[in-house]
Amino acid sequence: MQKQDQIHQLTAHLFREDSGKMVAFLSARYGINQLDSVMDIVQDTFEAALSKWRFSGIPDNPSAWLMQVAKNKAINALKHDATTTGISSELYLAHAENELPVDFSLSEQEITDSQLRLLLLCCHPEFSSKNQIIITLHILCGFGVPEIANALLMKDEAVKKALLRCKSFLRKSGDLMTNEYLFQANQQTQTVQTIIYLIFNEGYKTTRSMEAINHDLCYEAIRLAKLLTNSRSAGQHQTEALLALMFFNLSRFTARINTSGEWLTLEEQDRSKWNKVFIEEGYYYLNLATQSDQLSRFHLEAIIASIHCAASSFEETNWQQIVALYRQLEQLTPKSPFITLNKIIAESYVSTAIESLQSLDKIAGDSQLKNNFLVPATRGDIYQREHAFQEAITAYTQAMKLAVSAKDKVLLQKKITQCQLKSRKT
Amino acid sequence: MNEYLLLIRENLETYGKMTPQEMQEDIERHVKWVEQLVANGNFKTGNPLMPMGTSIKGDLVTDGPFIETKEGVSGYYFLLANSLEEATAIGKGCPSLAAGGTIEIREVIQTGN
Repeated sequence: MQKQDQIHQLTAHLFREDSGKMVAFLSARYGINQLDSVMDIVQDTFEAALSKWRFSGIPDNPSAWLMQVAKNKAINALKHDATTTGISSELYLAHAENELPVDFSLSEQEITDSQLRLLLLCCHPEFSSKNQIIITLHILCGFGVPEIANALLMKDEAVKKALLRCKSFLRKSGDLMTNEYLFQANQQTQTVQTIIYLIFNEGYKTTRSMEAINHDLCYEAIRLAKLLTNSRSAGQHQTEALLALMFFNLSRFTARINTSGEWLTLEEQDRSKWNKVFIEEGYYYLNLATQSDQLSRFHLEAIIASIHCAASSFEETNWQQIVALYRQLEQLTPKSPFITLNKIIAESYVSTAIESLQSLDKIAGDSQLKNNFLVPATRGDIYQREHAFQEAITAYTQAMKLAVSAKDKVLLQKKITQCQLKSRKT
Repeated sequence: MNEYLLLIRENLETYGKMTPQEMQEDIERHVKWVEQLVANGNFKTGNPLMPMGTSIKGDLVTDGPFIETKEGVSGYYFLLANSLEEATAIGKGCPSLAAGGTIEIREVIQTGN
């Protein structure tokens, strides 16, 4: 029974991590066509832990305990299949022949590789990017249907449907798990990086309240990216740059929102609340990333984020440098109006209002931007800084009509009120 | 101090619907509760029960628990307390309650002398 001097605790998201590890390892060992059985086994394993640990406390090495139970359950399930249906008997025989005591002594590298292969499979080009996110969260991050629905603002039914479709495709792509798929797929590393960044942004944008699930998504994105840095694949430095970018952004996660749950702009944020540990992690990965002679978009975005983190106040921000980096980013990823918009915002701190407004007019008609509140909101901000409060109110009001999230609307309303107060004074 | 049996009844199907994160949090709540009982000297022993067993009536042996009730006894504790009231107050802290479970508390009659 529980000994008082020996109380173990679980790390924050151990079950999610171990869920991904066990699914990856078991489906590498038994074939991706067994995915459904594998996921059932993993669920059963957690249920076994649930009944036992509630009473006995947490074992010395919870991950090893889980993996052992999962393996035993897998062997039993195979035996059961072999005796009742005969369908998997070949698989079972193949397994039984190799069934030596050492068979399951798996190395960390083996587990890591199996997770990477599964990650690449989840980011299969056959899937839409939304489905890539859904299936990755489910299989590698142990997210359940309601958690995915909550994180991605979807209905449970829609998530279930997407998962069914993806899983049925994955079951048929069995050979991809067993051949040298991992090492052919370097061009796919880029897709995986994009998916990881999308998962991070889903969490970071916090479209609802400050729910824990947002933090969880950022955490999972960082965990997956760290996994990817172990892949010895091409694009290693890009992954490090991505990690740097995510850590720099994460350092502001809490400081972005005030006690009543409203957005604070970069200018309003209390910089002492920026998480210094994350900023250090950011610099650590940025140093690794910049050992490459190639600059990716993640490199440039990470360097921009690092400049913000380095400035002790908003006024001291090195806008010239940021503008130069956005220009590089524009060349690297042409036709991304959001980058241009960010460049214009940065430029507005070093150029005249008229120039900035003209630049804004040029991109306002872009198909991706014309229904987005950001262009009129930026216009309002430029007017407000020029003390042209009436024009600012007009622009913010227009932005209000386009804004979707409640938090954005609250911020815009706050700006409008500020302008109204100022315009009355003058 | 008297000894009390706490029988935990739960809907055994809810386990299958929990996500890994939910299960981890549930375990953590239980472990914390038991730690507290140990620290206060209320804990004697406790164990989970397998969901399936047998049920004997006369000559008839059937699988238990009864299929029509999804609720089954998932585990038991023996606690030490001064009164049924105290044992009940302790039982109210059991995390299984928040998950929809029910708890039956009975004092153990000591027959040894």
